[in-house]
Amino acid sequence: MIEEMEYFIPGICGMGLHLKVDGFRLIYSLIAVWMWGISGAFSKQYMAHYQKKSRYYLFFWATFVATVGVFLSADLYTTFIFFEIMSFTSYVWVAFDEKAESLKAAQTYLAVAVIGGMVMLMGLFLLHDVLGTLDIDKIGPAAEKVLGGASVLEDGRAVHVAGGFLSARVQLYTAGFLMLFGFGAKAGCFPLHIWLPKAHPVAPAPASALLSGILTKAGVFGIIILSCVMFGKDGNWGLLITGLGLVTMFAGALLAVFSVNLKRTLACSSVSQIGFIMTGIGMSCLLSWAGEGNLLAVRGAFLHMINHSLIKLVLFLCAGAVYMNLHQLELNDIRGFGRKKPALCFCFVMGALGIGGIPLWNGYVSKTLLHESIVEYTHLLGEGGAGALEGVVPGILPILLNPAVWKCAEWVFLFSGGMTVAYMLKLFIALFVDKNPERQTEFDDMSSHYMTPLSRTVLLAAAVILPILGMVPAMTMDRLADMGQGFFHGEGHSHAVAYFSFANLKGGLTSIGIGILLYVLIIRPFLTEPEITAAGETEGEKKALMAGRRYVNRWPAWLDLENLIYRPILETALPGICGAVFGFLDRYIISAPLTVFLNASAIFCRAMDCLTDGFVILARKTVCRQLPEPKTYQDGNWAAHVLGTFADRWVKLKDRILGQKDPDRIRISSVHHFIEREKHMKHIGALVEESFSFGLMLFCIGLFLTLGYLLFVFLSHRGPI
Amino acid sequence: MDGNMILVLPVIVPVLAGVLVLVGKVFRKDRKSLTGFSVLVLAAELALTLWALMTGGSLTVLKLTDQITLGFHVDEVSRVFAGLTAVVWLLVGIYSVAYMSHEEEEHRFFGFYLIVAGVLMGLNFSADMITLYVFFELMTLTSLPLVLHERSRQAVQAGLKYLFYSVAGAFLALFGIFFLAGVSESLTFAAGGVLSDAALKGKEGLLLASALCIIVGFGAKAGMFPLHGWLPTAHPVAPACASAVLSGLITKAGVLAILRVVYYIIGAHRLRGTWVQNVWILLTLLTVFMGSMLAYKEPVLKKRLAYSTVSQVSYVLFGLSMLNQTAFVGALSHVVFHSVIKHTLFLAAGAVIVNTGWTRVEQMRGLGQVMPKTLACYTIASLALIGIPPASGFVSKWYLAGGALESGTGVWAWVGPAVLLISALLTAGYLLPLTIQGFFPGHDFKGEEIKKRKLTGKEPSPWMFVPILVLAMAALLLGCFPGELISMFRSIAAAVL
Repeated sequence: MIEEMEYFIPGICGMGLHLKVDGFRLIYSLIAVWMWGISGAFSKQYMAHYQKKSRYYLFFWATFVATVGVFLSADLYTTFIFFEIMSFTSYVWVAFDEKAESLKAAQTYLAVAVIGGMVMLMGLFLLHDVLGTLDIDKIGPAAEKVLGGASVLEDGRAVHVAGGFLSARVQLYTAGFLMLFGFGAKAGCFPLHIWLPKAHPVAPAPASALLSGILTKAGVFGIIILSCVMFGKDGNWGLLITGLGLVTMFAGALLAVFSVNLKRTLACSSVSQIGFIMTGIGMSCLLSWAGEGNLLAVRGAFLHMINHSLIKLVLFLCAGAVYMNLHQLELNDIRGFGRKKPALCFCFVMGALGIGGIPLWNGYVSKTLLHESIVEYTHLLGEGGAGALEGVVPGILPILLNPAVWKCAEWVFLFSGGMTVAYMLKLFIALFVDKNPERQTEFDDMSSHYMTPLSRTVLLAAAVILPILGMVPAMTMDRLADMGQGFFHGEGHSHAVAYFSFANLKGGLTSIGIGILLYVLIIRPFLTEPEITAAGETEGEKKALMAGRRYVNRWPAWLDLENLIYRPILETALPGICGAVFGFLDRYIISAPLTVFLNASAIFCRAMDCLTDGFVILARKTVCRQLPEPKTYQDGNWAAHVLGTFADRWVKLKDRILGQKDPDRIRISSVHHFIEREKHMKHIGALVEESFSFGLMLFCIGLFLTLGYLLFVFLSHRGPI
Repeated sequence: MDGNMILVLPVIVPVLAGVLVLVGKVFRKDRKSLTGFSVLVLAAELALTLWALMTGGSLTVLKLTDQITLGFHVDEVSRVFAGLTAVVWLLVGIYSVAYMSHEEEEHRFFGFYLIVAGVLMGLNFSADMITLYVFFELMTLTSLPLVLHERSRQAVQAGLKYLFYSVAGAFLALFGIFFLAGVSESLTFAAGGVLSDAALKGKEGLLLASALCIIVGFGAKAGMFPLHGWLPTAHPVAPACASAVLSGLITKAGVLAILRVVYYIIGAHRLRGTWVQNVWILLTLLTVFMGSMLAYKEPVLKKRLAYSTVSQVSYVLFGLSMLNQTAFVGALSHVVFHSVIKHTLFLAAGAVIVNTGWTRVEQMRGLGQVMPKTLACYTIASLALIGIPPASGFVSKWYLAGGALESGTGVWAWVGPAVLLISALLTAGYLLPLTIQGFFPGHDFKGEEIKKRKLTGKEPSPWMFVPILVLAMAALLLGCFPGELISMFRSIAAAVL
């Protein structure tokens, strides 16, 4: 065993970072280094033609630091900090391509990461509240005390419960569920696996290898802490994890069988393998709850983690080798690419055999251990050894402890293993056996230069390990398990398992048999169809014969959890409803009464303002009306008034009769007209009068002069008369 | 005037300088002397504030009557608020030098900007309720021209709305203050409250009512429901630097006022477990959720940030309403962190407006090609506001939620943290799209407008970028190394609770 080391950096982020190295953490840090090294070397060729390479490498190594941080963390606070950093830096991988589907997948990835992170944080709040510590070494005993109903923790601190209306037990379970949600989302556990099949195909292949091989394991790391450390001896929790594991295992494998995209198949396969690991973790819970040694399950889960990391590295890099040459991943487009490429074929086959659980390869060892743990638990239940049903939530759970149920679980396990074999066979035949009807010669010509020597070397190095681990398990894998099992709180007698005895081979061989049958009976007849448009009739029958079969996607498109449930809820229902409610609150509850109040008060104040003036005006219109003055005919005489008034009336009458109501025609009263006339006449009269009297005066003067002259004449002629 | 005379300097110097800027003809004509003088005064303000904070003590400025005095006093709370104000005010001032060159009547902006700095400092230093109230009203009046700056129709309307909400809130609070004056020896702040039990006998109900009045009234400034309406109206029309300080610091004045009344006049123990506490928690949680949700639905970036402020300042008030030490620490740290973060966000939004004229989020697709560094700062601040470790928002949320859970407030203990986290989700929903569209515009994005207008790589000038960078780094590093701050907040919390 190695020596444990702890390192505490106080003050960072408030509570300080707490790191620790023990067997498990050391192994997983080394695996991280190995995987990042291999993918980093492979990236050199893969990323050669991309722009923004510096962005890729920056986030590539940032994620490395964060991931190692998760695996080295010694308290959940530190785990959470690195976990969130890891989620956000790896986001850049998924979105890196900037294609429409990459961006959509990245959106899903980010949503799952943010929601998962926040839910997990809520769980952490509650856990910290009820246990008073987040130290991974201390939460186990504390949780045990709380579950046992103790009111005082080991350090003498009273169990504190938020709000006080729920028991500490319930709060602990709630915290567990919330954190399981967060970790499970990252691990790809059903029903939160949605991001995996979307994100993996669009991310660059080295990044997919890491996403699938080790980032999901960060989630598993959390699930281990919850299941093996915190709820280590809790049957309810064990049942939950096992159930989720079995569902995930089966659903992932089913999706993978139906998938027609190389990397999507591998991604679904990851979901399925995470299900295997979770089943192992759940079994370890159940076994130790039953009072038995849980070493089988613990070692199985741990080794399967390691195997899956190493295998998925190889398989995704193989997919990367395909993609960087063809820029395609649909099985129909890449059919036959692997022919005449022995290195690629070797690596892919190593990975496929490993993950398929074929004896002599590493996956077989861990799957056998997991299988044995289920068998052992079934036996225990059959013997009544786990009769300690106390503590299990009553209801349907006791039924779940029926050995028949576990027999079914065993078959689900074997059948999922069979599906693993089947979909790997499908991929293998598509890549290396089928011929491409159109581009086969082009593919064959690529055989010499499809990988640079560096890529070839690192890929082969990654692949060679798998059979070595599988062929001498006692020297390699058992030792790894010895180092790591302490973290899982594995207990019991460690006996050397005879991996290649008949009893153990039987399970593996059953899976292989199921797998081959599935391929021959289901995949080949139903999930492929004869090529129709291969080369046309004119090219002759020879080509038509070569065309073979093409792969079709029979998975119903609507059966996609994300589009069926999550997106409608998150994007439409929640903002729609809440937005409407608060928009309404904001607009009507606050603003409308305010507006109404303002308007009403404005009217009221205006009324007050006008009150005095209003009274004055009202009075003037009614009681205090100004009386008309008595008629005085200052201008003109009565005749003009009478005539004028008469003329006015006449005009009005005429208007009324003729219906002329033109408001623009301003009528001037005729009275003034007549007065004017009269004045004019008077003036004229005066003029006439004046001129007449002047004339008369002149006439008089003339007459006078005439008469004087006559008198003078008369008088001067009187003498002789 | 007796006491430490230094305390008056950070208050009076910027006010006088501001008046000088407003009336001086040379500042109207010569831009360089205007900006140079303003930045110099702000730097001096920082130095004077630090000097005042170090010497500490108290000062009686004016005795209006025997009971009513204006006085300054420096305690830990004023250290937090005054230090924050002085630093941030200087940074935003430097940013304004470049930003305001695109606006008219700069001397008016800088004049009032300096005056508000002095008034805020007076508010932070105030030793009793009367002084606080005087400076609170002064702050409303002097910050009004910042909102009105554009003098457009919307700006005037928004300014009036700001004025009415603030004044209405302050008067609501004034009613409460009148009551409190009647049941206490003096209204000088003292940790744990100054009310006398004898005078309070039989008036407990009235005390609670007046406490609620004060909380709601001063809450108007802090953007708390139901008097939050001014924030989203005033922010989009004000210049970005004014929006930044309105959002990041002026709202905190409301927080400070509530904090002083609840913890230094009334005393937390008198409110714990009462209906007022429940109403207060309800209002804050409602605001937290409502602000985030409306921000999520809002297309205009600055308005979105304003709604975000509505939500985030109520995180602080939620922390205060829990009336226990852990939540108090969370509230104070969120005062600092939110202030730093929101300044970064608003200044970045202002840089976008100056360089591109874009105001709506959907226009900002491909922003990473225009100003990658600014967008990176925006992203860091966004992550900090969401509460992604190790950035700063995470730390304050940790303490807020922890405090809520141990507060013993029944169902709130659970609902509170849950609402905070749902709001954090929404925060991610309204802040990150800008980053995502900016850095990952997608293959179909051709960026025609960016090419046509030659915007590629057009970062803001160093005057604008350096404050953004400094604030963004602070948002990140304060989260990584909050030790000193947290221990300081802890000592305050231990004193008042």
